[in-house]
Amino acid sequence: MNAAQPSSTIRLHTGPLAWLVAMLVAIAVLAMPGHAFAHAALVATDPADGVVLTQSPARFSLTFSEPVSPLVLTLVRPDGSQLTLASFRLNDQTIEIDNPETLKSGTHVLSWRVVSVDGHPVGGSALFSIGAPSAAPVAAEAVDWTLRAAIWAARLFFYAGLFLGVGGAFALAWLAEDRRRGQRFVAAALLFGLAGAPLSLGLQGLDGLGAPLARFAAPAVWKTALETSFVWTVLIGLIALGLALLSLAGPSGLRKLSASAALLGVGAALAASGHAIAAEPKWLTRPLVFLHGTAIAFWAGSLTPLGLALRQQPAEAKVFLRRFSRAILPVIVLLAASGIVLAIIQVQEPAALINTSYGRLLLLKLALLLFLFTLAAVNRWTLTAPAEAGDTEVQRRLARSIRIEVVIVLAVFGVAAGWRFTPPPRALAIAAAQPVTIHIHTLKAMADISITPGHAGEVAASMMIMTGDFGPLDAKAVTLVLSKPESGIEPIKRPATKPGDGTWRVDNLIIPIPGRWNARLDILVSDFDLVKIEAPIEIRSD
Amino acid sequence: MKKYPLAMKTCLLAAGVLCALGTNAALAHITLETQEAAVGSTYKATLRVPHGCEGKATTAVRVQIPEGVIAVKPMPKPGWTLQTKKGKYEKSYQLYGETLTTGVKEVDWSGGNLLDEFYDEFVFRASLAADLPAGQMLYFPVVQECGDATDRWIEIPAAGQAEDALETPAPGVKLLPKK
Repeated sequence: MNAAQPSSTIRLHTGPLAWLVAMLVAIAVLAMPGHAFAHAALVATDPADGVVLTQSPARFSLTFSEPVSPLVLTLVRPDGSQLTLASFRLNDQTIEIDNPETLKSGTHVLSWRVVSVDGHPVGGSALFSIGAPSAAPVAAEAVDWTLRAAIWAARLFFYAGLFLGVGGAFALAWLAEDRRRGQRFVAAALLFGLAGAPLSLGLQGLDGLGAPLARFAAPAVWKTALETSFVWTVLIGLIALGLALLSLAGPSGLRKLSASAALLGVGAALAASGHAIAAEPKWLTRPLVFLHGTAIAFWAGSLTPLGLALRQQPAEAKVFLRRFSRAILPVIVLLAASGIVLAIIQVQEPAALINTSYGRLLLLKLALLLFLFTLAAVNRWTLTAPAEAGDTEVQRRLARSIRIEVVIVLAVFGVAAGWRFTPPPRALAIAAAQPVTIHIHTLKAMADISITPGHAGEVAASMMIMTGDFGPLDAKAVTLVLSKPESGIEPIKRPATKPGDGTWRVDNLIIPIPGRWNARLDILVSDFDLVKIEAPIEIRSD
Repeated sequence: MKKYPLAMKTCLLAAGVLCALGTNAALAHITLETQEAAVGSTYKATLRVPHGCEGKATTAVRVQIPEGVIAVKPMPKPGWTLQTKKGKYEKSYQLYGETLTTGVKEVDWSGGNLLDEFYDEFVFRASLAADLPAGQMLYFPVVQECGDATDRWIEIPAAGQAEDALETPAPGVKLLPKK
């Protein structure tokens, strides 16, 4: 045992790390959101929405109110199959897209998603038919499984770094006697975390824009990512990882301090964004997530160094084990209590445990945790005392048991990372009540129509009318006409009223069925001037 | 004046409200009697009002004079108050040696009571400027007031749009080349 020589494999230079952290903080400050801006609006499409053509067009074109860059261009055929349109040209404010195949007769949907200069994505679709219209194909939102897998993996690496890495560094600083055992593992976990953090951020931006994996390096993607709340989790997480590395490889005087700060940083990182902290009451959920995260880091992080110490240096491990087992009980109580309260807030009713994907993942996590807790209880109450006393055989059994615990913990992280894709029932309820908004932009007039809630049933419509170049338009009267061609439903015509806040409103509107409706506004600009503008609007089913 | 039978009235009302079947068949619309006129000549515009607004009696008829129609002289109607609004033309016109830059831009017959079952005509005389585009339609937006209700015959078809597609088209006259 060479106590004099520091572990040469882990000598890390803190200089570059500090630079990295500083740079990231600078980016965060610069990218601070706080401005609202108009997004690009579709001005014209070719073929026009709803038109019936006699033959397959050679190209399509989309004209916007400002230059845009396309993210996704898809053509949905009448049978529902999708074709990605990859060949296009940007011509000032117009995107000209080549049609790669001769289209068969029926109704097609040209589905598009673009990002304007300010980085806001705008999406929409235009229907057109060849020969004769058929039933409009439902363009199901295609799930990009490679992107999902990448997001999940990056999250997992990030969690591994935060919990196993930072937690491990804390254990090594505070609990362990001989800090060299497990240093390599902890350092590796921290490096995984350092890789996973920026990857997660970039993938978050991709997901937010709905862009494919190939656009990972696009500036619009990172701009979007930096505007989400997730950037705070990544930044604080990176700081925590940095502090943990500092505690491993830095001066010994700072070791305990930086490890503690890093551990608190893990809790803070998790409490900075996500579904859990968005739930009401916020004064309760945020601290609970903080406690939950910190407790996980303490427990999960201590496992591998403890196991390694028990296996390789049983004599020194006794002190480690004693300190750990004394501290762990209150930590587990905090962990379980905070977890239960958070789960109740998110799931809201027991039926949701089975009905929603979120609930099912929670059940899976609980099953794994049951297994884990049983194992931990066995370790604590039957194996710990003899191991502390020095029974080497028991110590080896304990080490093996801890190895299994680590595997289960990793599985739990994997399940928790899956929550990234499943909104909790609480959030689903909020989403169902969300309005659907469309923007109609013509040379003569412009309108924003918002239908709340955005699904079939009793709704209210709110409209904001402006002139074609964003000036105020004080209309004398506005009528909203909702029609659904080929449905056999008479157009719904309602005069709008002025509640006095600059908008026009239609209450007591009942939309009988979901689907693609046509919303038209008849705007009486003056006694002799009527402007009619219309656009399709998608009404969700319940 | 012929009284329309109830069934026919309902039919016509439904036809007029639901879709325009062409200016001749859509008998609920306000239309011009003389449907063609040569540019650079005098035109006697006769607005035919066959119906009230969804059965209500007509109390006012207001017509907006489009650019290029000058020296407008409306015909007064007993029982109705005739008013005109004057305004500037977009350019100056020559008529009988005189230069005209302002004139009547809106004609209002108000205060009357034309029952739905009766028919009436509202007339004005005007000169069509010689530089109006021959071969195209010239539209006169008309607002028909029936007490509180209003029917606005003010929709002008966009380029390429068929007039039949409009629910409330403005009365129009086809411009012919100068004689």
